[in-house]
Amino acid sequence: MKRNRLGCLTGTGLIAALLTALLIAGFAYARGGSIYSPGPLSAQSGEMRGGVTSHAQTGGNCNACHTAPWEQATLADRCAACHTEIAAQMRNVASMHGTLAHNNPQLGCRDCHPEHRGADAKLTELHGADFPHEAVGFSLNGHPFTAAREPFTCQDCHGDDISKFDPVTCTGCHRQIDAAFMAAHALAYGTACLECHDGVDRFGKNFDHNRFPFRIEGKHAGVSCDQCHSSAHRLSDFSVTSQECDSCHKKDDPHDGRFGARCADCHNENGWRPAKFDHNLASFKLEGEHQEVPCDSCHINKVYKGTPTDCYSCHQQQDAHGGQYGRDCAICHDPSSWEHVNFDHNNTQFPLTGAHAGVECQRCHSSGQFTGLSTSCSSCHGDPAFHAGMFGLECASCHTTSNWSAVYKGPHPGIADEGGSGVNHGGGGCRSCHTQTLSTATCTQCHSGNPGGD
Amino acid sequence: MLRGYKELWLAFLAMLLISGLYAAVYVATRAIPPAYELFGHGIGIIGFILMLMTETLYSLRKRSRSVKWGKMSTWLQSHIFMGLVGPFMVLLHSSWKFNGLAGVSMLLTVIIVISGFIGRYIFTRIPRTMDGLEIEGTLSQEALKQARRLMSLWHTIHIPIGMALFISAFVHIGAALYFATLLK
Repeated sequence: MKRNRLGCLTGTGLIAALLTALLIAGFAYARGGSIYSPGPLSAQSGEMRGGVTSHAQTGGNCNACHTAPWEQATLADRCAACHTEIAAQMRNVASMHGTLAHNNPQLGCRDCHPEHRGADAKLTELHGADFPHEAVGFSLNGHPFTAAREPFTCQDCHGDDISKFDPVTCTGCHRQIDAAFMAAHALAYGTACLECHDGVDRFGKNFDHNRFPFRIEGKHAGVSCDQCHSSAHRLSDFSVTSQECDSCHKKDDPHDGRFGARCADCHNENGWRPAKFDHNLASFKLEGEHQEVPCDSCHINKVYKGTPTDCYSCHQQQDAHGGQYGRDCAICHDPSSWEHVNFDHNNTQFPLTGAHAGVECQRCHSSGQFTGLSTSCSSCHGDPAFHAGMFGLECASCHTTSNWSAVYKGPHPGIADEGGSGVNHGGGGCRSCHTQTLSTATCTQCHSGNPGGD
Repeated sequence: MLRGYKELWLAFLAMLLISGLYAAVYVATRAIPPAYELFGHGIGIIGFILMLMTETLYSLRKRSRSVKWGKMSTWLQSHIFMGLVGPFMVLLHSSWKFNGLAGVSMLLTVIIVISGFIGRYIFTRIPRTMDGLEIEGTLSQEALKQARRLMSLWHTIHIPIGMALFISAFVHIGAALYFATLLK
């Protein structure tokens, strides 16, 4: 005998296969589709619909309810064809069936009313797990078992009327699970459980706060929810909790508000210490030698806020000038060093111009006094004997700092003003005639003694 | 060939592991895993694939003349392993309901496993090489003849049961697809 590649394709094997196929076809012909049925249909009887009073009466006629995958109609359409009053309810969102259909369009009749569970199965008595409870706003995912570790029945929460729910049911059961927690939780948040809980989020240890803008890191991880969300009584209250540090930490502030409310400028979630304070973010930047100074040199008694920023408030004792230059050291000094002086005499009331620019400081400030000195010329420059007291002490009326050798151009007794250009008696200077002082003069320096002569 | 019970022990161990998983699902859900949900459906599908493979792969190797992949003893061992673990998974898939065609398929599965045990017993009576060839001379001609006759008879029964099982299983799968999986 020629052996085939697959051992099963023997004569007896093929005959057995054919017989089996024929037997199945025969049964299907005689008994309808019941041989494919996973279990008997419910015999729960009601009004006559579609020619039957119970699903069981449809017998092996699977097509009474089932549609072929390629048909337009669905199983739910077949349900609606007989159960017309339920179909009407499903179009009315005010009804329970309407709410379910509206909130969850994918929901089919069989999701709540599964069949093939035996002739005694009651189609209108729902097993908790069969009802898509999330479609009415509360998922039962977090409620697989009661506090007694038994599967939930509708009556456990709803009593006799599944359209009603009393939140006391929540607290009643949850006290049995953890009485201390529930007491504290109810005190912190109240007992309107459904305002926050929808059965999906448990808000417990596995709750991921980091999907919200305020990430829980460092020491915040060990904080109980109500320490921040102390006045929350509904879910929306949680989202309005302030994210500012001082909304929670004001009472912890050892600075008594002197540093303001932005704790995070210096501190982080891993602990109050070590703190990282950047003084340069403050109005008084630490530059030069100020960087080496201990904090309490300026912040006496650890008072940080309101510390004066003027130099003199700290440096008064160090003023080598004895207060002569006023209180604003920064006009001449900068924080790099006291020795580094940037004094510009031209910013004073007495700019150093002309010949004054090269004069030694001590020539004017001979007594070590730098402020309050007179700016009049005569305080340094005496009236020369040559003037013979004729011009007073206002040197600047004839002299400038760049030209001390001034020429008098005013009127001159006995000498004619020549052409409005003042005294220009022969082009000579004052000393041409006034060889000793201005009060004495000689003509013979230029003119001979003979009046009739030249 | 087929010395010891290695494949039986391995199959027993695998069934123990699967039972553990089944028990875990039962404890977690407090219900017998239904045939149509993830776990129940999964073990049914995997179990049937194992059953299908054990027949087709073993038969192909047994009758392959050109390519000789692996020793026949190993193939027979895996045939027995898959032929035990597969039906066990299908049994768990049944969720202990044996209605209609699905029930018939399960019954045929049980019968073919029992038949397989009988076949294994007859097979091991005849001394063989590692490739399954009979070793002449160790049994009396009469005993050998009788053993061969029994083996042949067993084949004549085992294969038709297997074919009947596969046909009913395929129709069950087709019906499940039509009525349940593709249900709208």
